Amino acid sequence: MRTHSRATAWAMLSPWLLSFVLFGLYPFAFTLVASFTSYSPLEAGGARFVGFENYLRALTDPEFWNALRTTGVFVIGTIPFTTALALGLALAVQPAFRGRTMFRVGFFVPSVVSIVVLSLVFKGLYAPNGFVNAALHAVGLPAPAWLLDPRTALPAIMAMDVWTASGYYMVIFLAGLEAIPHDLYDAARIEGASNWIQFTRITLPLLRPTLLFVLVVNTVRSLQIFAEAFVMTGGGPLKSTTTVVYYLYEEAFTRFHLGYASAVAYLLFAITLVLAWGQMKLVKPSGEPR
Amino acid sequence: MTKRGIRRGRGWRRCALAMAGLAALAVALAGCASKSQEIVFWQFWPTEVVQPLLDQFEREHPGTRVRMEQLTWQSGKEKITAAIAAGNAPDLCEVGSTWMPRLLASGQLADWTHATESLRLQLRGWDMCTAGGVVNGVPWVLGTRALFYNKALFARAGLDSSHAPVTWEELRTAATAIHRLGGEVKGYGLQAGERYILFKKFMPFAWGNGGEILSGDLEQGVFDSPENRTALEFYLSLRPVGMIERQDQLDRAFKEGRLGLQISGAWLLKSIPRDAPELRYGVALVPRPSLEHGTHASFAGGEVLVSFKSSKHAEGALALARFLARPDNAEALARAAQSVQSAAVGADTSAFYRENAGQGLMIRQFETAHFTPNHPAWDDLEAVIEDEVEQALYDKKSAAQAVADAQRRLTERLRAR
Repeated sequence: MRTHSRATAWAMLSPWLLSFVLFGLYPFAFTLVASFTSYSPLEAGGARFVGFENYLRALTDPEFWNALRTTGVFVIGTIPFTTALALGLALAVQPAFRGRTMFRVGFFVPSVVSIVVLSLVFKGLYAPNGFVNAALHAVGLPAPAWLLDPRTALPAIMAMDVWTASGYYMVIFLAGLEAIPHDLYDAARIEGASNWIQFTRITLPLLRPTLLFVLVVNTVRSLQIFAEAFVMTGGGPLKSTTTVVYYLYEEAFTRFHLGYASAVAYLLFAITLVLAWGQMKLVKPSGEPR
Repeated sequence: MTKRGIRRGRGWRRCALAMAGLAALAVALAGCASKSQEIVFWQFWPTEVVQPLLDQFEREHPGTRVRMEQLTWQSGKEKITAAIAAGNAPDLCEVGSTWMPRLLASGQLADWTHATESLRLQLRGWDMCTAGGVVNGVPWVLGTRALFYNKALFARAGLDSSHAPVTWEELRTAATAIHRLGGEVKGYGLQAGERYILFKKFMPFAWGNGGEILSGDLEQGVFDSPENRTALEFYLSLRPVGMIERQDQLDRAFKEGRLGLQISGAWLLKSIPRDAPELRYGVALVPRPSLEHGTHASFAGGEVLVSFKSSKHAEGALALARFLARPDNAEALARAAQSVQSAAVGADTSAFYRENAGQGLMIRQFETAHFTPNHPAWDDLEAVIEDEVEQALYDKKSAAQAVADAQRRLTERLRAR
């Protein structure tokens, strides 16, 4: 009986397991092996074992550091805004009011639309004669060449990302807010606590697990930013929007340095791991021993 | 024998006859199957452009089917590379000329040196698919860049609109005069902010001035030369009277009558009549340094048909390549696409090119155009040149500094191989 149920369990698990091994574990292991070789599918003579040469090359390549710096600016510049905006939206659409569902759906929609489609739309909005510049002209402000000026290209993409991602994290915050017992707020109101006191003393502490989840997931996602730069700027101008993943893509699929690109991928993996661990240390859910 | 036994005997016989018939039919069908073949062909043109040619090929080659897959320029390169890596390359594949150097060096392409001997004098563009005397492809169609100028803006600026700029100085003078019209009107279109284009915009001036990228044996960078420095200085001198934008924005500005001159491709010959039928414009050779010096150089590219050593239908793939490269078929494609020209020698004498001045000029421009060097690391080398020219364009470096830095980085890349 037990054997039968175990077999059933494995049978049920096998589709997922198979896809996980084929499309998750195998590429993960293959990339690790490839990162120590000179692997290139178009290179005559096959791959050679090169030890840590790829890693050393990345760490001494100014272009890699430029990509890392760009990604760092993107992460630091978007995560606080995305988190604050998502939490603000969640607080705004949590209470019952007429049209609440419409607002929730409206804010969430951008996160389910294809990022390529959104990038194309924003590319149009940021165009010299696009909506953004038209609006700036209308109020008498100068209109920059958003995606052609190295000073504005990355901020333009960051602004788009904040707007796009906030809706998704809003939904997560909403779930977190719904989980907070209402009795706590009732008790606080009876005690005469202001809205601000309720927010800082009840909402924020009890939202900590949700906040941690949002921070970690958003950090991992932001470190992998690619499609926006690929579609809107092609990494330019002057490499001002060349993120680590865009750099990796160029190395892997334009220059076919797949061994080197694999090493870059593992370096990014290591950085992501360290950052996620650091965030978990910093934002421990309340109730856990410090 | 009983009646039932006789009936059973007849039944067995009928059954045996039916089985034999079926077996004979299977053998016959198998024979047919061995004669028929399916060629897998990957290409980048819209189906309506290329399908009529493939239908014609199937009619001319009974028993041969072509399974065509349309790739996109955004992801085609990765798909082809992944297919090669996985051993699933198509029988015949269209490849852009700038991708060829790496493929030529890969050792994966079918050797068509002898198979294409009869085509050698019929087609141009063999440089794209030849390395070390070995031919690994067939030139299909060609592409180049020429000077597009707005005749209405020429007239408004007091210039002779029937005379396109022939020299660098004439180009700068015309751009300056048009730029002075003010408002939204700009003199010259300078492309920036995206890869794979700037190179084709700047190098015509460098090549026209006698500059080169690599030495003849492809072993050394020769970019830091007076010729290239002067060309870049001239190119940068167009900045004050120019519009720096992405290519799609430059083309749009040109169609809207906001841009006087730019170097662009034949795709404009197709899109201007559709998007801006009222636009009065001309097409001319890329200006040369002076009447006494240099050439009307430009970038030469094109599409190559290649097969892979792993192909199971090598003969069919070659037959299809020869068919598609046939002058009448290449012209049919060029006529439908209108963004490329036929690779056939003497194509400019055909009615289509005689009746379409712009298309005819593109063929003439091709005569003095330069192919990119067939170096395996061409992608890297092109990126270096684009980086450095862009830095100069954004005023981060002087022309001399950009050319010197490009030389240094080219040398590093060449040594790394």
